[in-house]
Amino acid sequence: MSLPASLVAELQAALGTEHVVTEPEQLRVYECDGLTGHRAVPELVVLPGSTEDVQVVLRACHRERVPFVARGAGTGLSGGATPVAGGVVVSLARMNQILEIDLASQRVVVEPGVANLDVTRAVAAEGFFYAPDPSSQQVCTIGGNVAENSGGAHCLKYGFTTHHVTGLTFVLPDGEVVELGGKAPDPDGPDLLGVIVGSEGTLGIATRVTLRVVRTPQTIRTLLAGFHTMDAAGAAVSGIIAAGVMPSAIEMMDRLTIEAAEHAVAPGYPEGAGAVLLVELDGVVEQVEDDSAELERICAEGGAFEIRAATSDADRALLWKGRKSAFAAMGRIATDYYVQDGVVPRTRLPEVLRRIEELSAHHGLRVGNVFHAGDGNLHPLVLYDAEAGETEQARELAEAILDACLDAGGSLTGEHGVGMDKVCSMPRMFSERDLRVFERLRRAFDPAGICNPGKVIPTPRLCGEVPGPYRIHALERIGVAERL
Amino acid sequence: MPSVSSLDEAAAALTAAHAEGRQVRIGDDLTAGGLNRILEHDPGDLTCTIEAGVRLSALRAALAASGQRLSLDPPGDPTIGALLAQNLSGPLRHRFGAPRDLVLGATLVLADGTIASAGGKVVKNVAGYDLARLVCGSEGRLALIGRASFRLHPVPRATRTLVVETEAAADVVGKLLGSQLQPSALDVLYPGRVAVLFEGSERAVDAQVRATQALIGGDETDTSVWDESRDRQEASKGRVHFAPGSLADVLAGLANAVIRPAAGVAFTLEPIPSVDQSQGASRGAEALVERIRREFDPRGVLAS
Repeated sequence: MSLPASLVAELQAALGTEHVVTEPEQLRVYECDGLTGHRAVPELVVLPGSTEDVQVVLRACHRERVPFVARGAGTGLSGGATPVAGGVVVSLARMNQILEIDLASQRVVVEPGVANLDVTRAVAAEGFFYAPDPSSQQVCTIGGNVAENSGGAHCLKYGFTTHHVTGLTFVLPDGEVVELGGKAPDPDGPDLLGVIVGSEGTLGIATRVTLRVVRTPQTIRTLLAGFHTMDAAGAAVSGIIAAGVMPSAIEMMDRLTIEAAEHAVAPGYPEGAGAVLLVELDGVVEQVEDDSAELERICAEGGAFEIRAATSDADRALLWKGRKSAFAAMGRIATDYYVQDGVVPRTRLPEVLRRIEELSAHHGLRVGNVFHAGDGNLHPLVLYDAEAGETEQARELAEAILDACLDAGGSLTGEHGVGMDKVCSMPRMFSERDLRVFERLRRAFDPAGICNPGKVIPTPRLCGEVPGPYRIHALERIGVAERL
Repeated sequence: MPSVSSLDEAAAALTAAHAEGRQVRIGDDLTAGGLNRILEHDPGDLTCTIEAGVRLSALRAALAASGQRLSLDPPGDPTIGALLAQNLSGPLRHRFGAPRDLVLGATLVLADGTIASAGGKVVKNVAGYDLARLVCGSEGRLALIGRASFRLHPVPRATRTLVVETEAAADVVGKLLGSQLQPSALDVLYPGRVAVLFEGSERAVDAQVRATQALIGGDETDTSVWDESRDRQEASKGRVHFAPGSLADVLAGLANAVIRPAAGVAFTLEPIPSVDQSQGASRGAEALVERIRREFDPRGVLAS
């Protein structure tokens, strides 16, 4: 399928030729996001510089019934930004300005191409930070975060992107611009921001985002607890949650990932541990001290054989480095891996982890577990060798793990999104009726069906296809976007 | 039309209205009052799933038995359905957010009788469209809310309240919000007072009370000031939304109100029209809601 020449000329005239990409080699740069198994070369890439530019592009696409896909930094892990063959990619990379900092209101207004960490950098000196911290935060964009409702290690306490967006300028798929919310939260009427944040770029394109920033805590305390077994560590997590202690993060790693991380960056995790918990507390000094004491008691009673607290910022950074390097470190011990992203109720963690172990043995493939234990968000890494023909086996194991999560009352995805990756798994979590209602919602925003089609809601045509194997993403290879 | 006691009954009632082209006002013509069971509460998960007819007081009592709570304290004793549909909150809004911040999933009954679920019961989940949030504030015009799942919090071990008598409420609020103290509630009872609630461990609450007094003064009181705040909220005749940083300007235009600064909302005693001063006033939101309504309820069965 090729685009009408008049459309290309129209967009070149409106945006400037330099902001319209037509060369095949340059188009190829956009063929996938962090889910590299899905690829499609777009027909055209446009780089709008303003809300008006986006409006021009979407109006033209709507008139010609050309599908389009919005793209931030391309670090998404579910193929939410995979282009549609024959369609247009709308890259928001040029719209990367922080427009306003209003700390009296605890708000920052940004364009969608601003990198997540740059929001914190802009307000850190004044004692504020932007709480959602996906592992790709150095490069991933706020626009992408809005699309995916991104979380991160600290969302256990601070919540997700949806809890930190109070306003959007949003271009609907027919080019109409709406202003939703503002600096005040809780606008009257149905929560449109709530349904747009996390809609994976299928309802329109955000061109301006009002974010809530948070005052930095008085103190931060990072603890590391070593356990002999995953079971014991999982039970300790349930114990911490049940006791009402609210850490900002609880991360868990198993023996395989501990060893890999130790080999890679030597964070000094307890030797011989079958599992470690990395727990962070923040807030008012006395509260952190009290919670820390309770946490240490729960871990000790739960069989932790070593508990230590970070003694300096450098020490804390090293403990986190071990956690954050775990995925990349896996690359040293396996040629290929697939990262699963499932969620289970926190009380079911020990049982689901046991189930994963059984499934791993049954399928004859190793599984590394490194994940956000505090909110039950598992990231089992299925290790395999594509050249040895293990790809299909790995896919089956990853699916079986997801089934175990759903059987326990959990979710298909905690933070990576549905995108292309899990679109065909949606019927495992939602009924046909549920999905038809999702379709109705989508149709209200995009009756022409041109906005990121083929994502989130399964179609028979789509789900006949088998996804390709995971290949390491360029950003991951250079170490700026770990899979966390 | 009756109070329904199951999702199927709700679906049947709406299907009939839909077929007859008859309008239904949820909360009046059709209530979920009979849908009043707490379906699931696993204390270790700090989550619960409940039917929409459950009263907040009943839920509170049930959760308290496990030392937990839903951190929403609006005036009165609404049902969970009303809580969501009207996006109701009270003083705890300051720290814990509105219903949309705590809801994890919902089962809805659409005007044509379709029963559909969105979200889930786990605290982290990005699968599918977040219809549970969408219906927050929908006033019964998008769907009947049948059941919902929520994130819970532990009941704090200690709770203390400070009241600061002041003619300069905006300064007092600014100082507190600029500090690293973490109140659970912060209301301006205008004119004259700022109320601050601290929750947590004994030591932490004590330290925060002392630090606050050093910063902005104030005396400890019992919790009746929060009842007063809720009463005044309930009796209010108008509402102003504003950017939190413009509190001083907003106060200058008010005579008698309860203001929740972090939530950017003032509940005014005077009957003023709902004013949005949030800098970036909504444009096109109503038309977008109308587009959703036409998909969810093409025959316009659900009346406002």
